[in-house]
Amino acid sequence: MSAPPSPFVFRRTDSPQDAARWDRRRALVTNLRSVYGRAYPRLIGARREPSWLLFEILLPFLTTSAFVFVYRALDAPSEFIGFVVLGGAMTAFWLNILWMMAAQLYWERDQGNLELYFTAPISMMSILFGMAIGGLFMSGTRALVVLIVGATLYGVTFAVDQWLLLLAVFLLTMGALYGLGMVLASFFLLSGREAWHLSQGLQEPVYFVSGLNFPVGRLGLLGALAISTIPLAVGLDAMRQLAFVGSEHVYGVLPAWAEALILLAMAALFISLARWMLRHIERLARVEGKLTMKGT
Amino acid sequence: MSAQPLAARKRDRRSDYAATWRAFRTAMRLGWQTEANWADPLLFFIYSVAKPVGAAAILVFMVDIISGGRADPGIRVFVVVGSALWSFVVAGIAGLAWSVLDDRERYRMLKYLYVSPNSLLVLLLGRGAARIGIGAFGALITLLIGALVLGVPFDVLRVDWPLALIAMALGLASILGLGLILAATVMQTRQDSWSYPEAVAGALFLLVGAVFPLLVLPAPIQVVGLLTPLTWWLEGIRHALFPGILSGVGGAGSVYADWTGRLTPSTAEIVLVLAASTAVVLGIGVAFFRWSERRAKEKGLFDQITGS
Repeated sequence: MSAPPSPFVFRRTDSPQDAARWDRRRALVTNLRSVYGRAYPRLIGARREPSWLLFEILLPFLTTSAFVFVYRALDAPSEFIGFVVLGGAMTAFWLNILWMMAAQLYWERDQGNLELYFTAPISMMSILFGMAIGGLFMSGTRALVVLIVGATLYGVTFAVDQWLLLLAVFLLTMGALYGLGMVLASFFLLSGREAWHLSQGLQEPVYFVSGLNFPVGRLGLLGALAISTIPLAVGLDAMRQLAFVGSEHVYGVLPAWAEALILLAMAALFISLARWMLRHIERLARVEGKLTMKGT
Repeated sequence: MSAQPLAARKRDRRSDYAATWRAFRTAMRLGWQTEANWADPLLFFIYSVAKPVGAAAILVFMVDIISGGRADPGIRVFVVVGSALWSFVVAGIAGLAWSVLDDRERYRMLKYLYVSPNSLLVLLLGRGAARIGIGAFGALITLLIGALVLGVPFDVLRVDWPLALIAMALGLASILGLGLILAATVMQTRQDSWSYPEAVAGALFLLVGAVFPLLVLPAPIQVVGLLTPLTWWLEGIRHALFPGILSGVGGAGSVYADWTGRLTPSTAEIVLVLAASTAVVLGIGVAFFRWSERRAKEKGLFDQITGS
């Protein structure tokens, strides 16, 4: 059986409109190529300049360690050290979303790439998906190092009963977080110069209301609000319940399976919203022609 | 060729100082405008205080959860003051490094700044000073919230103002020194270095025991902490604002106590060690920055953008 012909082979057409009519396979292959193309500079950049190993892994690990020592200074129960290590691992993803997803379209505009994305025959989702995959490599490595080294160095003992549910919760958290990142990317682009400051302002306050170093349930109403709006808060709460089974300090807001469902709903909502917002900004870019203007 | 008359040389030097001061002032104003003119004052206020207050809230909540709300007030003071002052460090270190990245990657002005008659070092210090001003604002608000909401017992009549002023001046100089080291580093690295300042500040947060006494750290890390000016800056400010507060440097069983035979450092000792370590960090910072500047010129890094 011969392979199907490449969708990229030149074919003579009668008009530009005819040339623009692509079959589904060609559109899909082009978008997959875009995903790879956008992920490539991040993956290859990580290999070509290893300074990120120090700045993205070792030093953030020390930050996490600072919170471990705060608990040690307070003679906290050992589970709290585990909460800090788990939270430290998850910050990698949140920072990646803020700085390498949400603020990225804004920077792409400053670099002059954004208009190329809008005029290229690709979906903007594929660009953002490529960014996410490229960024996941670095943040995933950082999270893994924090988790493994932190657990080993500080003697954290995980008690997991439901590995599959834990894995599902993690993946759903990633889906919801990166969906939110895509929404924020459009939002930050529309909000102009505030993108920079929004990224800054969404760090520590989000860490606090998400209960990064302590059970979010202890925040009362604020924690409940966070559970219903911030994927990081729900994901962490569910993962804490699944990774420290039997601990009296976990203080989960809802059962882990219910939080998995919330994450599923969040992932679907954020990805749909991102799709709609990206189409909206693409239309704005084409109709008004102002979105790609620098310094707005 | 005849030697230049003394009066003319003095005039030249005065004119050099005036030009340097003008460049610093202009850079500071530009830094402030870049940072502050994007939003209305209320939004800017929220942005400026959200980060430090959020950071302090995390720590205070951690203390309260473990103590069941019955924590020793001294610990609460220690944590609030440490996290409030830390916004100076984040702003100061990030200010210089981000100025390099901003001007190279976003505005593409770094090469023009470099070839302008002003010293790049002076321009960056001016930009960094503007960010330190914003950091100071965050620190002040966090301390105010600490005093008014979190029960930090602040008494303006008990403050040791001379120590506070000396420690603050030296501390800011050491932060600028560290900022220079990082600015020199990101001059050599790629665009994704945006997160480097926060990473360095986060690591220092551990090494200097910003929110816990150094003695809970392993001995070798305590030694590193004792060699860092930020440790002594925090100690000086804490002692100035809250005389008799728990020492971040000493304590029974600490490396400091083992070395000196005393549990807490004296005021003179704090100032002396802070001054010496600041001088070392500033010296290293300027030397490293000059080296990095030369290398960037040789390798063409001033206009090499690295979008990823």
